[in-house]
Amino acid sequence: MADVELVDVSLRDGNQSLWGATGLRTAHVIQVAPLMERVGFRALDYSSSTAMGVAVRTHREDPWERLRLTRAAMPTTRLQFIGTGFRFISWQNSHPETMQLVYDRLVANGIDRVVVLDPMHDMDAARETARRLKQAGVEEVIGALVFSISVVHDDAFYADLARQFAVHPDFDRVYVKDPAGILTAERARTLLPAIVGQLDGMPLELHSHATIGLSPLTYSIAPELGVEVVQVGSGPLGNGSSLPEARRTVANLREMGHTVAVDDRALGLVCDFLDGLAVAEELPAGGPQDFDAAFLHHQIAGGVMTTTRRQLREIGMEHRFEALVEEVGTVRAELGHPIMVTPFPQMVVSQALFNVIGERYATVPDQVIRYVLGSFGRPTAPIDPQVHDRILDRPRARELASEPPPPTPAELRRRFRRGTSDEELLLRAHMPEDQVDAMLAAGPAPRHFNPSLAPVLTLLRELGSRTSVHDLAVATPGLRMSVRRTAGGDPRA
Amino acid sequence: MTGARRIRRLLIANRGEIAARVVRTCTRLGIESVLAASDADVESLPARLADRVVRLGPADAGRSYLDVAAVVRVAQAVDADAVHPGYGFLSENPSLARACAAAGIVFVGPTPESLEAVGDKLTARSHAVAAGLPVVPGGEAADLAGAQQVAAELGYPLLVKAVGGGGGRGMKLVAGPEDLAHTFDLAVSEAAAAFGDPRVYVERFVSSGRHVEVQVLGDGSRAVALGDRDCSVQRRYQKLFEEAPAPLLPDALRAEMAAAALALAEHLHYRGLGTVELLVDRERGTFSFLEMNARIQVEHPVTEMVTGLDLVAEQLAVAEGLPLRLRQEDVVLTGHAVECRINAEDWAQGFRPSPGRIDRVVLPVGEGLRVDTHVQGGSVVPPHYDSLLAKLVVHGTDRDDALARARAALDLLRIEGVTTTVPVHRALLADPGFAAGGVDTAFFERFLDGHRVGAR
Repeated sequence: MADVELVDVSLRDGNQSLWGATGLRTAHVIQVAPLMERVGFRALDYSSSTAMGVAVRTHREDPWERLRLTRAAMPTTRLQFIGTGFRFISWQNSHPETMQLVYDRLVANGIDRVVVLDPMHDMDAARETARRLKQAGVEEVIGALVFSISVVHDDAFYADLARQFAVHPDFDRVYVKDPAGILTAERARTLLPAIVGQLDGMPLELHSHATIGLSPLTYSIAPELGVEVVQVGSGPLGNGSSLPEARRTVANLREMGHTVAVDDRALGLVCDFLDGLAVAEELPAGGPQDFDAAFLHHQIAGGVMTTTRRQLREIGMEHRFEALVEEVGTVRAELGHPIMVTPFPQMVVSQALFNVIGERYATVPDQVIRYVLGSFGRPTAPIDPQVHDRILDRPRARELASEPPPPTPAELRRRFRRGTSDEELLLRAHMPEDQVDAMLAAGPAPRHFNPSLAPVLTLLRELGSRTSVHDLAVATPGLRMSVRRTAGGDPRA
Repeated sequence: MTGARRIRRLLIANRGEIAARVVRTCTRLGIESVLAASDADVESLPARLADRVVRLGPADAGRSYLDVAAVVRVAQAVDADAVHPGYGFLSENPSLARACAAAGIVFVGPTPESLEAVGDKLTARSHAVAAGLPVVPGGEAADLAGAQQVAAELGYPLLVKAVGGGGGRGMKLVAGPEDLAHTFDLAVSEAAAAFGDPRVYVERFVSSGRHVEVQVLGDGSRAVALGDRDCSVQRRYQKLFEEAPAPLLPDALRAEMAAAALALAEHLHYRGLGTVELLVDRERGTFSFLEMNARIQVEHPVTEMVTGLDLVAEQLAVAEGLPLRLRQEDVVLTGHAVECRINAEDWAQGFRPSPGRIDRVVLPVGEGLRVDTHVQGGSVVPPHYDSLLAKLVVHGTDRDDALARARAALDLLRIEGVTTTVPVHRALLADPGFAAGGVDTAFFERFLDGHRVGAR
């Protein structure tokens, strides 16, 4: 029987899969961080360039500040960043030296574990990224084996990649990343031993989304197949299109005879806090999922699915969801079966969306053009030649083909005001500047969040917005509060 | 994580506002809090706030909060990972620290060796000297002849201090040589009775001194200084009002004091929270070492307000064996904070304790306002312990702002049913001499004399 460790993904993948990456703010993270620190997670899946961009764009909060505050609250838990190695926040590729600066600043601000995710499984690119991460001082570098179902993605394919990670000194561990949640227990019984057989003692982790209810079962047998760490989401940020729920996973693993050395009380407090947060902020809680065979066909990751549904609803086309899912499968095949992991699902889904709304490939997003131009590396299988020509035979493709290379950090420093910190520089270089200005103008993010106070604060805010309300007194046992509107108009407690 | 022991369940072997204060940090950090309460406290507010309550003993502190065996027994009974002793009671008692260690329980405080080093005032003095700190001129007085010899070097007035004393207890003023023999004998017999240690020593009496202390935090190998506090407003060595930072100190002197406190903490390989008390000679512009307190202080919130730190959380972290997460350059002080200690005492009757039932409590709330308390409407203030009801802590952009906000907050605060020292604080905050800042330890008695004249 094994000692199994947990990595909690609530704050990054959970938030992205279930709450569209926008649910969590700095105050939420800072409030739950000390509790998470006590659980004894091996690491938290903490941030990504998408998450950092959302902090700035949606919440006007400085993601670097959030990271520093989290690190101060959690001195011993590893904080993980996940990235592809060629871009930061923006969908465009960054200069390699700029990526080095990103890694340096991430480490300086508190990141000590990074997943190298090359969705093309381009090992040269992955090795180069790992080298840069180690140069930045990242303690733990994890190579990703992105699981997919296709003719090329057989056990031998993954075993060979595992061997390449194992022999390279810049990788510390490997994980099987199953973004669509399509790894069955049956397949795991051959796949995981094949991988472990090539790892030469390097630890293996498992990350399989609960989207169609398969992964809780896969997790319960994973340790006997050589997996040392399973990745989970806590409370409302587990299950659904996120990862298996933490408490249930712990119970299942213990039932299977394994040891999971976590502080159950602290884990309960984390889940309670997130439950209260979900209720207060009206965010949906992940629940157990039905098996859905169609998923094995389209393989769209949970977060992308949620976002896509929302986007369709926003343009009044939610009824075309099924057609869109069908078109996603077609586009994916035409583009050479990219694995449906960031940034490719976004790319494939947006192309499918244009194809469903109008004439197929009449409108092509820049990202798809760049993909066909080879900016992301070599596709796993050849692109359909007709689609290839159709996409490149347009003025925009020729513009993008002649784009200048991305700027180096030195060029970026010349472009922006002297005295700008590297952290701010990296935001300005990869986001619209007005968004960064708005973030700075908003000042430091609030540090406190109490879910049980949220209804009262909402009530006060709503009443405060009504100028007809002059005096308000609230009395409950143990609390009496009065608010009066001053002549200036702002309510004062 | 290596060498660290996580605290999952913490026994709080104390009462009053500090018990509630420790519970609050436990809740924030996800540590299960178990309050060890005497019979007088099992229904107190801290008992309601804690995750669990366990009876420690009778109301008599000697058989509960001061009983080392009882505390360890209860800690073992609830399977606590650690014991937080708060302040006062057993907080600086090496026997509790040793008994905890023997029982495999973390004592949230310094090592027994550190407690002994600073608990014995003569040893503390010699450590301070070894660490390069200036001390008040004086020396050991094994007998009257020795006292007379030291007195001859120092001149008068002087203080006879108990080696086992501290915090203002066990000190006697000697105005001239004619009083020395009598006071010395009295001091020795009182020290033997009060501290179980008849040893005394003699120090020069500094007539116009300010009580300024430096907060330090160490992990056993490294330490940081977390700014200073001025606690000069005292009555019979009991502090009434504290502030951070100490006002009107020359920058160079302040830096020297911080460096001195740090030097002592490093000399002791200090682990935990500690306070180095210094006496600032206003006339000479110098300072000297008084004593070191090896625990969290009552007045720690003013430091928390200006540093933004949770000192209890830091204390627990180093008790868990974690290295300091702060570097000295990370310590940034913002604004000014003041604290009014609100006691159940009647200042018109010589600060006579006023225990009883609290009818109503109204606390001011707002940004930069904090009230640490253990009472609410219906609470009973038992007669067995100290009379501290609440600490009103106010943070402002500068000292004037903090004092103005404190005045406004005091007007809103209501603790009804017992007589409190709120009126003293109102009068104090209205006093121009006090508002000017930098008063000495004799100020408050003069202030009281003035008000007694005015009141009658």
